[in-house]
Amino acid sequence: MDFEAMKNDQDIRGLIRLLDHRKNDVQWRAADALGTLGEIACEPLLRPLVYPKIHVRIGAIEALGAIKSPRSVEPLIHTLLTDEISEVRWVAVLALGEIGDIRAIPPLMVSLKDKDRYVRYGSAKALEQLGWSPQTDQDRAYYYLALQAWDTVRKLGKSATGSLIDLLKDQHPSIRARITEMLGSIGDVEAKGSCEQVLRDPDENVRWSAVLSSIRCGVPIKRLPLELSKRQRTGHNAFGAAVLNFFFLGVGYDYLGRWWGLLVFESYILATYIFQLLFGLFMTIIIWIPITALFAMQTFFIAKRESAQLG
Amino acid sequence: MVDLSGLFRQKKVDIEKLTAAKDISGLIRALHSSDMNTQSDAAKALGDLGLEAMDVLIRALKKKDMDNRLVIIKALTEIRDPKSVPMLIEMLKDENSEVRWEAAIALGEIPDSQSIEPLIMCLHDHDKYVRYGAARSLVRIGWKPPSDEEKAFLFVGMQDWKVVEQIGNSAIPALTNMLHDRHSNVRIKAVKILGELKSPQAIPPLIQSLADEDSEVRWKTVLASEKCGIKLIHLPRGLSCRPKLKKNPLIAGFLNFMLPGLGYAYLAKWWGVMIFELDIFGTVWALKYMGETFTYETLFPIYFLLAVHAYYITVKMPVDPP
Repeated sequence: MDFEAMKNDQDIRGLIRLLDHRKNDVQWRAADALGTLGEIACEPLLRPLVYPKIHVRIGAIEALGAIKSPRSVEPLIHTLLTDEISEVRWVAVLALGEIGDIRAIPPLMVSLKDKDRYVRYGSAKALEQLGWSPQTDQDRAYYYLALQAWDTVRKLGKSATGSLIDLLKDQHPSIRARITEMLGSIGDVEAKGSCEQVLRDPDENVRWSAVLSSIRCGVPIKRLPLELSKRQRTGHNAFGAAVLNFFFLGVGYDYLGRWWGLLVFESYILATYIFQLLFGLFMTIIIWIPITALFAMQTFFIAKRESAQLG
Repeated sequence: MVDLSGLFRQKKVDIEKLTAAKDISGLIRALHSSDMNTQSDAAKALGDLGLEAMDVLIRALKKKDMDNRLVIIKALTEIRDPKSVPMLIEMLKDENSEVRWEAAIALGEIPDSQSIEPLIMCLHDHDKYVRYGAARSLVRIGWKPPSDEEKAFLFVGMQDWKVVEQIGNSAIPALTNMLHDRHSNVRIKAVKILGELKSPQAIPPLIQSLADEDSEVRWKTVLASEKCGIKLIHLPRGLSCRPKLKKNPLIAGFLNFMLPGLGYAYLAKWWGVMIFELDIFGTVWALKYMGETFTYETLFPIYFLLAVHAYYITVKMPVDPP
């Protein structure tokens, strides 16, 4: 591919097509080339912002960040606030930082609270580029949390509690655990309720840091076991397993994670078919009911015992 | 559970008797003994038997059985006969990393200049155990790395990170090699050191590592890349190349239409196979009692709906966070 010739010919459509190339470095060079074309490429690059393929959106935004046209600010803000892919939001905040238009400050302050750490980090860097610095305690907390400057956050003390609680929405267990730990080391009684909620986190490490932090925030230890027990169980429903085994013998075992469950089910189906040919439908049902009922009961008890052991 | 191991307890092997009878295969069997002393006595006895035993051992090494190879390499390490060196060098290319590791250690015990070159190659291995074994053996043999680049490979193998950092840019190939390690903590270590080099030459391997399968490696790569002077705006593309566990909606839909239920099984729904089974059973039953036309007219619209449903739930599945 002759990028120089395409640049000289101002072949914007051709270069945008190359953003969809299967090779990463071709996409990269296409985005780079588009970025050098200046204002003329701005308008055509706004259309791919809603293109379904992620790398095309990323490439277009990268180029817009290099072109630095004020016309692209509003569409980029729209992408930042609406796109569901983290990488796209991340590149959008960085492009807004590159463009340097202060209209981007309010939306960047919103994305400083994004549920994704990359977007938060990018927003902090972009805000720095726009000459913004945090004025309120809350902004300061979000800003340092975005930069993952944990020691600075700890020094902020209780004024960081609100932001820390909000960021417990992060999708990464490692970040949630870190935030919970931070809440514990700040030890604000305001965080009591949140720490108790984190006790129900699906991740075991997060729950453990919630136990330690809850105590530091003043939750009496005797309350913890009950709170912890309210978490969503990932274990199996004993009644469900029993019902499955009653109607479809073997599937209940499959549901409980026994590899041979489907084997039992296969045999059950085959036996049902043979019984039907031999004795007819009615007799088949009469034969099966007591047998599958017994299996259902057994399944119920093993599932109960397992969930008690798992805790 | 009843412990049945007592029934199969091995008889105490009489090494002296086997040696006296020059029973080489008996001694090789004794190498597999769970008793350390028996193993080592058998190895010594084989060593004493000289050339003949050596030939049998080396031939036995050709069997493609991992346990067998591990036991024989260990025996060869104890015998320390220079004749075993070529075969041990051969074992450095074994597909099993434990065999490679053991062979690398063995070559350090039998110093021989011909093993230097193959051991240097092992410093490029993707397994940290093999790298460590090779580095230790090279030091034992007294090898001095002729260039900074090779010095970096040696010290990456020895896990001496301080020296690696001091080497500077020449360490980049060795650190890039570490990025292929199976263990994410090793990859994180490599990424961090690459960042500390603060060199633009470290950017290409870091860009590769943005697509790592481990989320912590990816995050550390972003921080390291920034230190090397790459603009942050160029990183999201690299990150978007990370392996996504998202399934293909077309495959899910197609499977559910052709083999109803298996589309769900492809989406890792535990009940997918159950629907598949029920469909087979239901189809046979309907064909027998309801007739062909009725069966096809009823089932095809259902299959179509199942296909659309599988397609739809795949599209709606959330993407894993980066």
